[in-house]
Amino acid sequence: MDVMSAAPVIEQLSREAGISTAAALFDKTPPHPVDPVLSPLFRRGGLPRGELVTVTGELSLSCGLATVAAATREQKWCAGIGLDEPSVSSIADLGVDLDHFVNLATPGEDWLRVASILIESFDIILVDPGFAPSASERARLLAKIRERRMSLISLRPLSGSTEQIEITDTRWSGAEHGRGRLQSCLVRARSQTGTHRFLLPGPSGTPTSVPAGTLEVVAGGDSAGTFAEASDISDTAVEAAGVPAEDAGAADDPRWSTITALRQVISHVG
Amino acid sequence: MSDEPGRILVLTVPDWPAVAAAVEHDIAPGRPVAVLHAGKVIAANASARAAGITAGNNKRAVGYRCPEAHVALWDEEADNRHFSAGVGALEDLVARFTLLSPGTLAIPLDSLRHGYADEADAVETLVSALVDDTGWEFFPGIADTVFAAVLAAGQARRVEPGQTVDFLSAQPITTLEYAGAEATALIEVFLQLGLRALGDFARLAAKDVNARFGAFGRHLHDLASGREGAPLTDHVRGEQLDVELDLDTPTTRSDPLGFLARQLGADLLAKVRRQGLVCTQITIELDAAAGQSSSRTWRIEDMQENAIADRLRWQAEGWLAGVSTGAENSEPRQNPGSRHNSGSGRSTRPGHAPLSAQADPQALDIVDEPAPDAEDFAEDGIIALRLIAAELTTPIGATRSLFDENTGQITHTLERLQGLFGPDAVLVPGLQGGWDPAETNLWTPWQQAAVPERSPAAPWPGALHAPRPTTVEHSAVDVLAADGSSVEARPSGLEAAPATIRFPTGQTETITDYSGSWPIESGWWDPSRAVYRTRLQVVTDAGRALLLSKEHGQWYLTGRYR
Repeated sequence: MDVMSAAPVIEQLSREAGISTAAALFDKTPPHPVDPVLSPLFRRGGLPRGELVTVTGELSLSCGLATVAAATREQKWCAGIGLDEPSVSSIADLGVDLDHFVNLATPGEDWLRVASILIESFDIILVDPGFAPSASERARLLAKIRERRMSLISLRPLSGSTEQIEITDTRWSGAEHGRGRLQSCLVRARSQTGTHRFLLPGPSGTPTSVPAGTLEVVAGGDSAGTFAEASDISDTAVEAAGVPAEDAGAADDPRWSTITALRQVISHVG
Repeated sequence: MSDEPGRILVLTVPDWPAVAAAVEHDIAPGRPVAVLHAGKVIAANASARAAGITAGNNKRAVGYRCPEAHVALWDEEADNRHFSAGVGALEDLVARFTLLSPGTLAIPLDSLRHGYADEADAVETLVSALVDDTGWEFFPGIADTVFAAVLAAGQARRVEPGQTVDFLSAQPITTLEYAGAEATALIEVFLQLGLRALGDFARLAAKDVNARFGAFGRHLHDLASGREGAPLTDHVRGEQLDVELDLDTPTTRSDPLGFLARQLGADLLAKVRRQGLVCTQITIELDAAAGQSSSRTWRIEDMQENAIADRLRWQAEGWLAGVSTGAENSEPRQNPGSRHNSGSGRSTRPGHAPLSAQADPQALDIVDEPAPDAEDFAEDGIIALRLIAAELTTPIGATRSLFDENTGQITHTLERLQGLFGPDAVLVPGLQGGWDPAETNLWTPWQQAAVPERSPAAPWPGALHAPRPTTVEHSAVDVLAADGSSVEARPSGLEAAPATIRFPTGQTETITDYSGSWPIESGWWDPSRAVYRTRLQVVTDAGRALLLSKEHGQWYLTGRYR
């Protein structure tokens, strides 16, 4: 079957009716609520259940934690895998309910095993995967996510995701070359719904919408140095959202590529 | 006996911190004792007061007025410990009582109605029993509310039934300090408003107080006008329930330990059940033949001997493995939080970890393991097991909340992961005191009691404000100025503008923006706790924001905004 021909149809279905997988046709589950600042990033205004979402780029961990915050405050349990040692104060600043968050300090090689156990009872899993799963592992993972109606957020590109949020640009402000301290960061994020700009973290630590009239330096190329008005929060002129390449953005992590390559070799031998 | 249902008897030991200090330091009665906190006298016993020492004096003033006085530093833990040990006699005399604070306890008088002829008789019997048992002086006070009874106890008087409001209205407004440290600021405001007595304050309309001073002001208003707040929680009988087993031959194998622990756990639970109580937390202590010991407290939702045996096995395996490989610190990636929890687990060691331990690379090794020699330890193994019921409650208090979703399943899943990857692999977040996120982090293994090392209530001047880094780490980096020399930090600021940062991997990034540096100087009065640190936030050309700190002449990467 030609995957490329199915993609636009799926895209259209999910845009119009909020149906992103075949299962969703039969049983439409409302998404988990997210912070109002972040909700325009998602096609259905919230974190979809039964689906895999990727959040990539600089500040992806902050964005992932901010996404789960509203759900944890509604007694949904969230687990983090492979996040090193997160700082509790920032988790609390981003609005996550500490009583419903658990961090798994398990080796990166075991993320899939840990995730498959957690899927049974957790509502949201936030994972920085230690390696790319093989096609069959991925299919089983996705089937299980769908069956349990839980949300998995990956901080690396994984194929099979239904929504991809990529933070393309970050601009910290407040440091003032030695005269201040970091206050907030203006991020530009690209998702299926277009390009969005917001402050993450804002001055209080939580995501905040961009104050009207903020000027932004347009990055890159010939237009560097010109100013654009910030009112066009979601310019929908984005390229058709294709599935990102499996290893994009992961090339800089030698551990990731080593484990992934090793597992491929082992699976061939076995 | 009065028919008033809400009558409360409060017994208080005057100058309790001074009495506790005398017990703690074994000081002969009659010798003057003064207790200092934050440089000021907070309590002095009668003979010290006779010599002219009053609360608020500093140490020099004490020495000047009464050179022979014993000056002790305030020890909150000793205060609590001696008091709860001392009131043991009461457990046999009254059915219900509450420890309000060290030195003060409350007894609802209706619980004494059947045993004694009247209030005076009850008070006399209880006070003489307590005085015979402890040798301390107790002041009784009786009133209709707890707050009024505490004030009455300070004056050793009985307020007639129904007279409580009149009694309260004559008391000075400063007595509201009873409500805690937050009240101090409000008392100041009340004094400025000309409200000198509780009666003046109580005459204000409750809704005006609520509008102007919020919920806390409302609470103070309730106290002042003699309205009772939440009922007191009863003191649970403080008997220590524990079981012990000495092994004939030391063992390092966890299966026989688990087997023994199951029997031992069943014994303990039977003992707890006989008291009509339920155990929700258990402390497991293991003794090694060479004299080391490991102690951890576990919270188990569904307390059974099998669950206890699992915990004991995990604890023994983790301890023995940690000792024989010494690997605990070499892989911080796999064990975030373990170094923050050194207080709660591993091996007991005297004293406390130094405050700066987190930031000090040398101290890291000390914090976790005073590891015995691996070989003799492995030969000898564990020689004794001890299980202590760490938290006892009544059966109704142990039932789960009705409103939490699927906690049972969550517990089951997490326990399974703990079984597979060890108890330290599943961590729940908590906060403690500290300046930087690395210090405020308190990751505790699932179902273990969190043991904060630093008080979150204490002030931490210079603590980092939001936005805070999302992950913490601790690796040495070089921060270079434009000319390639290392950037020096002074309390007044940086010597040069930082231009480049070099990571331990050798990779470098250009610094595009940096914050002002802000120093922490703390504990300079005590060399073992002194902290001199300068923090700096930088943004690199990769768009990455980092938190750096400089200590002992070395820059460290302490947090990443990810």
